[in-house]
Amino acid sequence: MLSFIIRRTLSMLATFIVVSIVIFLMMHSIPGGPFDGYDMPLPDNIKARLMADLGLDKPLWEQYLRYMWGVFRLDFGVPYQSPGETVMGLIAHAWVPSLVLGGLGVLIGAPLGILLGMAAALKRNSWIDYVASTIATLGLTIPVFVISTLLILVFAVWLKWTPASGWGEPKRWILPIAAYAAVPMATYARYARSAMLDTLNKPFVTVLRAKGLSERRIVFQHVLRNSAIPMITIFLPMFVGIATGSIFVEKIFRVPGLGAYFVSSIEKRDYPLEMALMLLISALFCISYLVSDVLYALLNPRIRLGGKDT
Amino acid sequence: MNAMAEAPALELKGITKRYDAQTVVDRVDLRVHRNATVALVGESGSGKTTTGLMALRLIEPSDGRIILGGEDVTRLSQKDLRPFRRRMQVVFQDSYASLDPMMTLGEIIAEPLSIHGIGTRAERGEQARAWLGKVGLDGSYATRYPHELSGGQRQRVSVARALILGPSVLVADEPTSALDVSVKAQIVNLLQDLQADMGLSMLFISHDLSVVRSLADEVVVMLRGRVVERGPTERIFTHAHHPYTRSLLDAVPVIDPKARRRRSFLSAAEISAATPRLRPADIEPQPLLDTADPQLVALVGSHFVEAIVSERG
Repeated sequence: MLSFIIRRTLSMLATFIVVSIVIFLMMHSIPGGPFDGYDMPLPDNIKARLMADLGLDKPLWEQYLRYMWGVFRLDFGVPYQSPGETVMGLIAHAWVPSLVLGGLGVLIGAPLGILLGMAAALKRNSWIDYVASTIATLGLTIPVFVISTLLILVFAVWLKWTPASGWGEPKRWILPIAAYAAVPMATYARYARSAMLDTLNKPFVTVLRAKGLSERRIVFQHVLRNSAIPMITIFLPMFVGIATGSIFVEKIFRVPGLGAYFVSSIEKRDYPLEMALMLLISALFCISYLVSDVLYALLNPRIRLGGKDT
Repeated sequence: MNAMAEAPALELKGITKRYDAQTVVDRVDLRVHRNATVALVGESGSGKTTTGLMALRLIEPSDGRIILGGEDVTRLSQKDLRPFRRRMQVVFQDSYASLDPMMTLGEIIAEPLSIHGIGTRAERGEQARAWLGKVGLDGSYATRYPHELSGGQRQRVSVARALILGPSVLVADEPTSALDVSVKAQIVNLLQDLQADMGLSMLFISHDLSVVRSLADEVVVMLRGRVVERGPTERIFTHAHHPYTRSLLDAVPVIDPKARRRRSFLSAAEISAATPRLRPADIEPQPLLDTADPQLVALVGSHFVEAIVSERG
């Protein structure tokens, strides 16, 4: 198990380096630079000075090495669009709203989805199943900006139950959390339904019925346990994907989160911030997949890696 | 044995299953005496598995009665049925899917005991290990998981789990169909030994006639939900009357290539057309209810065949 983790960590580092190179090259292959976006073009000599100050006049490979040396020392530089702070500082404060709203969205949406999927599987082909499947399909197919807009329209404009937008008091969190919860809920409803049905159709479940185990205990002691593995393993990657913020949700609800910076850093050729965000995301995904794989191995006796059981 | 005096271990009377307009099992009668084995044979889709599952009340019959050791359990609620569940158990074909992959063999075998609240945890573990021994594995297997075993070993675990409650009836649904020939023989021997030890009655569902011949006392042949022939095993193997039974027997592989027989497997239409026609003189005297339709009639003693009986023959 330990050697598995070490091997996976090493391959993760390799992945991380490849990703950093690809992103760096792609980022610099976009035409223009950080000082080309203004209505009044800067004089060439001033622009050259600024570029030299930022080290942007060096060859690309040198820029890359310099940048990675900084990353190695946890120095991600200064964002061009906000020179008063560091990239680390900006991400640290902007991530809080995304983490809170997105994280709560997943933490609320996933269990709801599991309940929905369980109900659908246990009452297959009943109205409960159809309603649950419809909700799941809508959650996955309606874009989040439409869901967000509908949430504002219904709960803020018509019913006036919640504020329409903003960040601060928790009651402003309700609608963005609901918007974030839609995708995890829908995904989990589908996963839970199919995993449960799959297990429910196994002969060992029939044997359990033949042995006289009540249906409720069959579901909770056996079916759920056997269906849980795929649901657990998709959790972390999903959490990472959602808790790093969505530009749509954050723009619509005017949340000062991380999502907007993904777009603005590309628009403004804010290389340090863009690099840092992309590396953050890929590192989080790498780690979440590693943890998921380890969890999967721990939970599933079939692939318990090496060694004897206790 | 005084089988006449005591009630059969399991009796099905006119058991029927209909799904919408389709009748999957049509008025099947079965009687499994104590310590006896009845084989239910037929091709897939003949309704033999459905019949077995109805006997266990795992599928609700549309009609008919299930009598377990003289007691009618057809209408019992699942809750009232629980004490009876100890007396009827099941082994399925797919040995892997029959075992919860998340549990150790010890837990799997002991679980029926805990469901019925028998013994302490330690006692149950002890019994589970003892049963592993009885089915030819040893106690050290208790901590292993199903995926670590071969198909034959897993089937032994299924057998141990089925028998740990000391049932009087075992429904074995194709328990050997997924196994190699040599392993198959081992499982058949195991079942026979345990049957003799425990006085077990078996409903053995199979399309494997060589196994049926060595195991069963009576053979019941099903075709499209109906019993078309039934009788003592040797009688069926030597004097099969119904063309479908004969085509099933012809399909049994023979090892000696020189002995290769003409295969005469019949299509559904051919079988329908070939329903035996008998004159009343051919069969044992019995009241004829409807002479136009095929019905199960006694040929000799307990050998029955589905036939159309009319004076014109």
